[in-house]
Amino acid sequence: MTQIGAMIGTKLRIVRNQVASIRDESYLKVSVVSVAAALLWIGAFVTFYWGFGTLQAFLLDPQTGAALSDIVMARLLSVFALALFFMLTFSNVLISFSTLYRAREVVYLVQAPIPYRTFFLARFAECIWFSSWATAFLGSPLMLAYGMRTSASPGFYVASFAFYLPYVTIPAALGCCITMVLARVFPKVPRGGLVGAAAIAVLFLFLLARNQFNASRLADSTSDQIANAVTAMAQTQSSFLPSYWAAHGVLLSAQARYADAFFYFLLLLANALMALLVATVIAERLFYKGWSDLWGNEQRGTREAGRGLLAKIDRLLSPLREPTRSLVIKDIKLFWRDPAQWSQFVIFFGVMALYVANLGNTSSNFDRPEFRAFVICLNIGACTLILASLTSRFVFPMVSLEGRRFWVLGLAPITLRQIVWQKFALSVATCATFSLGVAFLSCIKLELSPIPFFMSIYSVVLATLGLSGLAVGLGSLYPNFEEDNPARIVSGMGGTLNFLLSMAYITTLVGVQSTVMMMDALELYRSERAYWISLIGALTFVSFVSALVVTVPMKLGLRNLDRAEY
Amino acid sequence: MIVTENLVKRFGTKIAVNDLSLQIEEGEFFCFLGPNGAGKTTTIKMLTGLIRPTSGRASLHGIDIQEDPIKTKSMLGYIPDTPFLYDKLTGREFMRFVAGLYNIDEATVRTEGEELLEMFEIQAVGDQLIENYSHGMRQKLSFASCFMHDPKVVVVDEPWVGLDPKNIHFVKNFLKEKTKNGLTVFMSTHSLSVIEDVADRIGIIYGGKLLHVGTLDEILALAENPGSLEDVFLQITQDQEQ
Repeated sequence: MTQIGAMIGTKLRIVRNQVASIRDESYLKVSVVSVAAALLWIGAFVTFYWGFGTLQAFLLDPQTGAALSDIVMARLLSVFALALFFMLTFSNVLISFSTLYRAREVVYLVQAPIPYRTFFLARFAECIWFSSWATAFLGSPLMLAYGMRTSASPGFYVASFAFYLPYVTIPAALGCCITMVLARVFPKVPRGGLVGAAAIAVLFLFLLARNQFNASRLADSTSDQIANAVTAMAQTQSSFLPSYWAAHGVLLSAQARYADAFFYFLLLLANALMALLVATVIAERLFYKGWSDLWGNEQRGTREAGRGLLAKIDRLLSPLREPTRSLVIKDIKLFWRDPAQWSQFVIFFGVMALYVANLGNTSSNFDRPEFRAFVICLNIGACTLILASLTSRFVFPMVSLEGRRFWVLGLAPITLRQIVWQKFALSVATCATFSLGVAFLSCIKLELSPIPFFMSIYSVVLATLGLSGLAVGLGSLYPNFEEDNPARIVSGMGGTLNFLLSMAYITTLVGVQSTVMMMDALELYRSERAYWISLIGALTFVSFVSALVVTVPMKLGLRNLDRAEY
Repeated sequence: MIVTENLVKRFGTKIAVNDLSLQIEEGEFFCFLGPNGAGKTTTIKMLTGLIRPTSGRASLHGIDIQEDPIKTKSMLGYIPDTPFLYDKLTGREFMRFVAGLYNIDEATVRTEGEELLEMFEIQAVGDQLIENYSHGMRQKLSFASCFMHDPKVVVVDEPWVGLDPKNIHFVKNFLKEKTKNGLTVFMSTHSLSVIEDVADRIGIIYGGKLLHVGTLDEILALAENPGSLEDVFLQITQDQEQ
């Protein structure tokens, strides 16, 4: 057997053993995860199918009968392909760092007589798999919906499948190259320089994205809106972009222009192989030096006591009583020092910033009461959805992340109740900082009147409490103390259940209040009194539901931890 | 003082600890000896309150561990065989964290915490993240943090893994010296030479049952032919296997 075959074959056997071990899992767990995955896929398909259909109906010129939707939908696919390219490049930078440098088996593989080129190729296959399976899962309903809506030829589906692997290979190779260069450079550059460079890069990306959104500013007439959107998306049509080759090739196959589509396939494949070759050469030259520097850098983990931002937070929290203060500081430090945690948090923060920045994008349509009420409901939905994503990804794993270190807490003269409620309080305080910030800014930008303003803020406050309680409670009810990777903790049964219940909760929260606001906007209330009764009733109901969402999971979680043995 | 009365722990049908009754006096250095899977770690976990006994009771200085866990934990120190610590904290930050859990004031952390770090020779790496520590350094940090709150009882589970001979010598003497000031030590180990050096009394456990308890001389006297503790241990366990 070849060395690369042995490495990849071993990984496949591990996957096979993991799949086989599903038989030992509880039926409830397997059912919840399977049903959630199926619902997610079906939900995505229905959304895309409905979205494309709406677009087709909206962009049909009633006078000429011309379907402008073909142009816009094709451009949308290009935008999707380009966004995917950037996402995959970014995720490959993170994944390749852990796969090439941080995974436990790397030490074993590096000491073995394996050429670095071979080692890299085997690990690269893992990077591709980890970075692209989720996009394939969520991209497939998009392509299927597009194909069905446009009555694409059968070749479209084959092409979508065939173009995928060469397409994801390019950002994967690019991501690996960036990581290997950074790993070589990182230990030699002072920390201040790195932080500065990262800040400039983030600012540049933010401005780039903001300009894109500004270019697609809403206009008062439909024709202006279409023109704006098509102009904004024109930058994705550069023939030098791999996303253009992939999107254009797939679209040509939809029109049964297979020879032209095959040209773009070969173009993509040639570039993918070239990118892989370049990455392999870089791996041969830089991997070992970077790996050796990273592991040999003795001062890497030095944190001078009393200095830096974390020390300031430490001092800021001095009014808190012990042991709460120590627990909070510990959680903040562990979070801040884990690149996998804060790098994803930065993405969330970026999405929130873009959302608020884009709220200035208004049109005269906003003056119509029903449209305005609809936008207010959507704003509450967006704020709580961001919050649900935050709590599902970052708060749910908090208890599990104590992991095999639980003995430290278990031995201390503190109760489990103190530990779990501290995590709840930390979650509320942190999430409220961001969610209330977004809620206030968005309400100000939308120039809301007092009642919708209050309802928006009140909803976000309730959601912060409810979603934190749900995440901490279910995190305690379904802890995974064997896993140190928060992303894997979240993808388990407890994490899936938490996400589904969070969605159900915010749907209830937003739905009840939206009903009142929409009915008021459509003037369906017979009197002022009826409106106020509905409003107070809605607020009382969501407050009651939120109280249940906090107390029930927290109680169940605490009971479970109390029964557990460490 | 540690007292266990008819302590039993079952895992399903398997009895890990069976009717264990012990009394370890204040200031005593008690060593717990037994082959792998004999029930040593399970006993330790029950003594530290990390797991609940199926039946029976364990108490520290007259206080039941299950009835008043906060009070017993505040006088207990524990050093596990594998020191899983918070990798993203520095050694010094971990000491401060533990001090916070035990409500120790800042001034004490600065003086006694630093003294302990120096004593266990990890002061120089106190500002490095624990993820960069060797196994031995982690073990030394466990020891240092364990003594931050001046425990009355210390439970130690096979502490020698990863420690160099100099450190083993130091830890051995450190614990022995502490017992002179009233500290009770319950130590599980396979290092027979260490037991011979420090133990006031030895307990031998096999298959969850406590077979013998006594001083080194009393245990040595159990052998048919006089020999070392190793000879006695091998003979006792062999007899049980047969």
